Amino acid sequence: MTEDKKNENPEQGNTESQDASEEETRDVSMFCPKGDVLVIAEQILGDLQPVTLELLGAGRILADKMDQSLKCLIMGHELGDLPQQLLEYGADEVFVADHEKLKNYRTLPYRRVVCDFLESLPEPPHTCLLGSTTTGRDLAPRIAAHFETGLTADTTELDIGPYDHKSKVDPSKVGLYPNCLYAIRPSFGESLKARILGPWKNPQMATTRPGVMTPLKRDKNRKGEIKKIPVNLQDNDLRLEVVEVVREIAKGVKLTEADVIVAGGYGLGTQEGFNLIKQLADCFENSAVGASRKVVDLGWIPYQHQVGQTGKTVRPKLYIACGISGAIQHRVGMSKSGLILAINKDPDAPIFKFAHQGIVGDCYQVIPELIEQLKKQMSKDKNKDKDQGVEAVVGTH
Amino acid sequence: MSGYKIIVMIKQVPDQGSKAGLNPDGTIDRARAKRMLNPFDRFALQAALHTKKTYGGTVTAISMGPPPAVEILLEALAHGVDQAFLLSDRRLAASDTLATAYALYKTIEYVGDFDIIYCGLQTTDGDTAQVGPQLAERLGLPQITYCEDFSVKNGKVRARRIIEGGHQEVEVKPPVLVTIANSYHPLEYKSFRGAWRVQRLQRDKEALEKIVKTVNLDDVGADPDRCGLKGSPTIVAKTEKVGELGGSCTMHEGESTEHMVREVVACGALNEFLAH
Repeated sequence: MTEDKKNENPEQGNTESQDASEEETRDVSMFCPKGDVLVIAEQILGDLQPVTLELLGAGRILADKMDQSLKCLIMGHELGDLPQQLLEYGADEVFVADHEKLKNYRTLPYRRVVCDFLESLPEPPHTCLLGSTTTGRDLAPRIAAHFETGLTADTTELDIGPYDHKSKVDPSKVGLYPNCLYAIRPSFGESLKARILGPWKNPQMATTRPGVMTPLKRDKNRKGEIKKIPVNLQDNDLRLEVVEVVREIAKGVKLTEADVIVAGGYGLGTQEGFNLIKQLADCFENSAVGASRKVVDLGWIPYQHQVGQTGKTVRPKLYIACGISGAIQHRVGMSKSGLILAINKDPDAPIFKFAHQGIVGDCYQVIPELIEQLKKQMSKDKNKDKDQGVEAVVGTH
Repeated sequence: MSGYKIIVMIKQVPDQGSKAGLNPDGTIDRARAKRMLNPFDRFALQAALHTKKTYGGTVTAISMGPPPAVEILLEALAHGVDQAFLLSDRRLAASDTLATAYALYKTIEYVGDFDIIYCGLQTTDGDTAQVGPQLAERLGLPQITYCEDFSVKNGKVRARRIIEGGHQEVEVKPPVLVTIANSYHPLEYKSFRGAWRVQRLQRDKEALEKIVKTVNLDDVGADPDRCGLKGSPTIVAKTEKVGELGGSCTMHEGESTEHMVREVVACGALNEFLAH
């Protein structure tokens, strides 16, 4: 099957010998003109995912910066008031693809709808945003590859700004790009933030980590347009079947929605340490158990609990890190927590550089003591509740 | 069908757990850094070998990278992979995910027919999880990403894939591209036979080159303009150091455990969230 085509001219002239006098900055704004911002919404079994609202918040800022409109595309079946909600959270126009076969997320049918939709627009959007979720990270690369456009994964900041491209590797690209999507993400294993650009072609695409951007307040008076769009699926798109969708809410691994996360790391020494972590988590209302990557890789606890660069980004009100050193990979996933309490044997552990409260000590001594004192506090609170009635209940939140 | 034709895509990455090759500014000097098989790819390798062992077939490992990446292909061979290809070409330098997916797509076309392609969920150096789906797009394949477990029955792959707050059970007829999550079974130890085979091959260069083939862009018929910096629609325009955070940690140290814990509890912030 391989036809060894001899390349007659392997090192074909890199036409780099262009006139050196042409040093002046060229305006190449035609490459990526201003345009709308498109958010691709995500719903599971009719629940709008929080990241979609966060993307609308971020997208609103980008669209306003360019003085353009914020579009939102939602796919599914019998979506009820979800399109209306998208307007109320900041979209100017909502496009709805409603089809029985779109009920559950599947790569190929969703890919078809997004690609057809983008092709139907007179101008491609300037920016296209998806969540860095299992769905967004599944779908976005297909769209980007189809349109051969740039895609940045897992961004934590977005902005619009100019870029002066000087590299002459491809002379046709040299020039000043006035409106680039700045897709900013932490660079893994390095304490660096990278600004990634792809201004040569619209849409400039990015996925954004859940829990990082701030959604707008819901405004029931916001007006906008809701439009149905056609869905034309092909047999080829339906090769894969979804047999079942299982939501595991009961298991309590709602890391991104928990108020309190108690997380364990390699410093626990053994898998059994997580029993202690769970006991501590149980002391709190709406709590969840988190973990560092190392212990997930070791199989001490399932992947769903992993916090950090390759796991979840969380922003609980209280984060208790037990035996976690606090490497950058973990930090980027939790540093925005309200209060960080770190328990670690090593006083020089990086976690103490960004925790708010630090206890230097052995987890197996500190955690049981902490549980005991918290339990005393709880029984005290209970008595107080009895005395003060309703007021105390209001006070607790 | 006499067994499945399985391809597993693997990559060599810098070992970020080791301090070797770390520049003072926090960037990685890839030439000096210790190298390792991308940890996520260990799960893909396990999936490929499990498929072969359970349902029969052959496994071909494919990698792209500079010549030292042969190391991970030998490692894969020792685990039981049948043959391997390394796409190595200076013109691939600075490829982003789209350019990488294109080059790998041409390599797979060159390698030949397949039923299932396994990839790791993502790499630890790029961390995008994009190359798998982009490769599937180029090949026009259905994909199953975040796959935690699978079986093959009646000529169909049935898989469990993670979704937000749960999972999906999906079913598809090969050919298909599957990316394996790190909640899948860990890679088993090298097989005695495999390790012995690699030892023997390392002493016989000619035989080795037949099993582990190194190819370049011209061999696989890839357009150099669609690879490397030129074929990449994204560039890293700027990097900046993430500033040292806080430094305002209230430390409790050197006192009795009971005392330290009391001090923390006394600050009140924990009480706010107590269960009732």
